[in-house]
Amino acid sequence: MIPWLAQAPAEPALNMWNAPAGTPEIWIKVGIAMLAGFGLLAALIAAPTRLRRPISAAFIFVAGLFWVLVFLFPKPIDSQTPHDQRPSGFVQNVSFWLADAIPVVSNFSNILTAFILGLGVFSLMRIHLMRVAKKQTDWPFSIVLLVSMVAMATFGYWDWKTRLDLGGAKVDEAWPLAAYGKDLLFDGMLQVMEAAMFSLIAFFILSAAYRAFRIRSVEATILLCAALIAMLNLMGAVVVTWDGMIESFGKDNAFLMNFTLSSVAGFIRDNLQTPGIRAIDFGIGLGALAMGLRLWLSLERVGGN
Amino acid sequence: MDGVYYEKGWLGVVFTLMVAGFILLNIYRARKTSGKLFIRRIPGLNAIDDSIGRATEMGKPVLMVPGIGTLNAISVQALQIFAYVTKTAAKFANPIRLCCLDPAVYTVAQEIIRDVYQTEGVPENYDPDSVRFISDRQFAFAAGVSGIILRERTAAAFLMGEFFAESLILAETLNSIGAIQVACSTEITQTPFFVAACDYVLIGDEFYAASAYLSRQPVLVGSLVGQDWSKLAIAATILLGALVNSADGLKRVPDEAKPGETRVLKADEKMITNLFSPKKPEWKPAGGTQ
Repeated sequence: MIPWLAQAPAEPALNMWNAPAGTPEIWIKVGIAMLAGFGLLAALIAAPTRLRRPISAAFIFVAGLFWVLVFLFPKPIDSQTPHDQRPSGFVQNVSFWLADAIPVVSNFSNILTAFILGLGVFSLMRIHLMRVAKKQTDWPFSIVLLVSMVAMATFGYWDWKTRLDLGGAKVDEAWPLAAYGKDLLFDGMLQVMEAAMFSLIAFFILSAAYRAFRIRSVEATILLCAALIAMLNLMGAVVVTWDGMIESFGKDNAFLMNFTLSSVAGFIRDNLQTPGIRAIDFGIGLGALAMGLRLWLSLERVGGN
Repeated sequence: MDGVYYEKGWLGVVFTLMVAGFILLNIYRARKTSGKLFIRRIPGLNAIDDSIGRATEMGKPVLMVPGIGTLNAISVQALQIFAYVTKTAAKFANPIRLCCLDPAVYTVAQEIIRDVYQTEGVPENYDPDSVRFISDRQFAFAAGVSGIILRERTAAAFLMGEFFAESLILAETLNSIGAIQVACSTEITQTPFFVAACDYVLIGDEFYAASAYLSRQPVLVGSLVGQDWSKLAIAATILLGALVNSADGLKRVPDEAKPGETRVLKADEKMITNLFSPKKPEWKPAGGTQ
């Protein structure tokens, strides 16, 4: 059984999109899906150039329509409800059908991505093999990259296969070469190098903050003051000292208490920062919606057109 | 709806449809007027041509990074802007480097850039290696792009799309070699880093306005004006909501816990809360009702 087919959810989640593993029903559905996929691909290749855009546009529209319906259609409260307990009726049936289809449709993009990853790997191989062949600048680094890529893929697959055959617990006990190699490459090298890259951010924050907080203009000065208040508000000793000083002038003076460090920082956070972030979020959301709408209706022309 | 469905907040759905209506209506208007609708000036976008000009003078490549997101509206928007950048670079035969983390974005980017060179009439100048898949791991990608920046001494860089922790690594590396950076992240947490480290930053929806501003295509201009209408509608709703919520705050209802006394409305009893996010009723299977 192909692994991803075995991942079809067990009863009672079986629906028209899947079937029990190993049954003729699942193979018929797989066959229909493959025929539809290859048929579409063949139609796109065979179609004249001027027809390719309308065909793509039609498929984009149908694919987008699914998600629009998911958003607009009434939602079933629990899509895992057993079939015999589900209410019947057009609206109910369509809503359950949509809910059942979500994981299947989501898998389409995962499968496509898996195919496209091959193109990415091909790009890397072409660039670096060429660099090694022509002995261009820094070509030894290209050899390191190619060897690393092959080694990581080999040990990753070998370890996965070993764990599948023996079981994870046995592999951890016996610790064969596959597990050792994968652990060394992944946990011992990749993770550590990624952590090193991540830790560089601390130094970059310092240098960027130094440039940004210099008093060059009114905006930079406001930025400096706001940042200073936010930072000081996170330092317990400073907060205690400053707030204590304010309180010593008069704890019952409501106006004066507005100037404690935590009140000023809270004011900046609640009345300046949060509304600003919300406003930007609204803009980004609207932009994404407009972009999505243009893509869905094939109004967008990307490229040299 | 016989108890299986819950009211999702019809007002939210109607509002979304209204926004979509505004956008489509203005696209129609812009098409009728050939895109002659007003768009305000965006300084970050004016810097694009200057940056490419500088790179041409120095004979160094222009770097473009469409973020580390998957193929979605954000990365397509970034590629839309990069198509314009490439168009300008192609006119001056300036080399470009477009670095991708996601293989799907890489594939689409390759097609778009090839298309741009063909449309500009210089297909022979297209270098397939100018669009590169670096790695699908965040920090491996950051290291790879930083390596390209330092080795090739890129003169101008465009960081646009979904950026996360790698944003500052790229921006500071670019700063260290004196490259002009025009940046924008749809991730609100990364915008301050770009503001601190880059020369020009597009904030929020300026990113989506960019392609309309640069190309003046009627569809894009109309869409942008539709977004502005929607923003006005949102601002009006917020104002109205604040007034209605304040009025609700003055109301007093009988207190169930203390007979004879009254209390103010709870948050989930207020009109605005119920309009936009009503409570989900309990689901009782096998013939139960909500």
